[in-house]
Amino acid sequence: MISLNNVSISFGELQVLSDVTAHFPTGETTAILGQSGAGKSVILKLLVGLLKADSGEVSVLGTDLGSASEEELYTLRRRLGMLFQNAALFDSLTVAENVAFPLEQQRPRPDSKEIADRVAEALQSVGLEGFQDRQVSDLSGGQRKRVGLARAIITRPEILLFDEPNSGLDPITSEAIDALICTMKRELGITFVVITHDIVGALKVADHLCMLHDGRIVEHAPIQQFLQSEHPVVRGFLNRNVSIDAQGGIRPPTIEEIRG
Amino acid sequence: MRILEAIIGAFSSIGRFGIFSFRFLKVMFRHRPPIRRTLNEAYRIGVLSLPVLLTIAAFVGTNLTMQGYHAFKPMGGERMVGMFVGLAGVRELAPIIAAAMIAAKVGTEMASEIAVMRIREEIDALSVMAVNPYWYLVTPRILATILVLPALTILSIYGMLVASYMVAVYQLGLNGQEFIEFLQRGATVTDLAYGAMKSIVFGIIICLVSCYCGFNSKPGPRGVGSATNSAVVTSAVVCVMVNYIISELVYGR
Repeated sequence: MISLNNVSISFGELQVLSDVTAHFPTGETTAILGQSGAGKSVILKLLVGLLKADSGEVSVLGTDLGSASEEELYTLRRRLGMLFQNAALFDSLTVAENVAFPLEQQRPRPDSKEIADRVAEALQSVGLEGFQDRQVSDLSGGQRKRVGLARAIITRPEILLFDEPNSGLDPITSEAIDALICTMKRELGITFVVITHDIVGALKVADHLCMLHDGRIVEHAPIQQFLQSEHPVVRGFLNRNVSIDAQGGIRPPTIEEIRG
Repeated sequence: MRILEAIIGAFSSIGRFGIFSFRFLKVMFRHRPPIRRTLNEAYRIGVLSLPVLLTIAAFVGTNLTMQGYHAFKPMGGERMVGMFVGLAGVRELAPIIAAAMIAAKVGTEMASEIAVMRIREEIDALSVMAVNPYWYLVTPRILATILVLPALTILSIYGMLVASYMVAVYQLGLNGQEFIEFLQRGATVTDLAYGAMKSIVFGIIICLVSCYCGFNSKPGPRGVGSATNSAVVTSAVVCVMVNYIISELVYGR
């Protein structure tokens, strides 16, 4: 359903992705991990057609994004939802207007009652019932992300993409967002792709983990297999953030482990 | 070497601006414009800019009259101030001042708003929600400016003439009837129509340049500041140059 085959892209002289090949299974959640600047967000932008690969093939829901026309691209995007890093809400609109925005732009436009019902339903599923008339500028970081998520799911997409869902949030709000993603995953049963550098969050929400380093995929495997990886980048990432016991269970590192 | 780089940079900017304008035109002619947003923009551009525009036009009128009076008086031609105001004010100054004000007030707003949207990924969000950002952000602004700027220009011409008349008659003691007669020799209704036509061209230039600068803003507060600055400077320079070309085509024969 989502595949990248030998994808490379560079900005000027900076090679961001080199020969990346990956397939994200349908109906499952894949988290793409990596340090800042590893090229994670570029993958997401390739998947929604905001960037075009210099070489290789990017295919989403059967559409080859390299050769798709503008119309085909917009048709595909109507089947996707995306939560942006800073939610990318429109400050001049209320919460309800933001969430309703994708529906308002549909042709034919659903009637006002249906839009209001679906906004209420989407806000309820992200735990913000009754927030319709609030101004976006009055919301906290976590609430903005929830509104962004409500906007992403209102069109009932087939694929949901998350760009750093935990960035800029405190640990408790971060955990709440992870829990929300898990709930969504169960309720919607669709394909999720999560870009993150938060390994703990990724372990909570993902079925598959994909580690990106210097524009290349160094590990891509189901969680348990990923945890056994001997690749130094993967080990470095895991050892800083989590501890794995003899039975393969995951726990936070102890203070001694953190302080070395 | 630096000069060469600057020339190449200028040509590549013109090329990018051409691509931007082409994309906008493609969307504009293919899709029905967003009417509600166009009307909102028209209100923002028209009604909210009117007080400042009228104030400036009025004081341009007062100064033109005063300067014309003092220039013509030694030759005994102070009666012809009305003609001077008609020629300089109606034909040239009022349209270009209206354009400069719109560039300063509305163009900067457009550039900074779109630049901030670019930085906050709101433009990307529009694309991902299958909404063409050119259609959503540029089309209503251009249409609103085309709708509103001719009216603003004509109103500012009238504002300027009223102020000019008051100074000529009540401050400088000229004959009102004579002032109007000479004014009509300097500028006719056709000149008003040319002024309105010029303002449509200026409006399109200001909107396209401002939106282009916003869309191509670099990240960070400095990027937004730079986009806003480029928008107003480029719009003003291009409008003044185009003004000369139009005046040459209309009055240069």
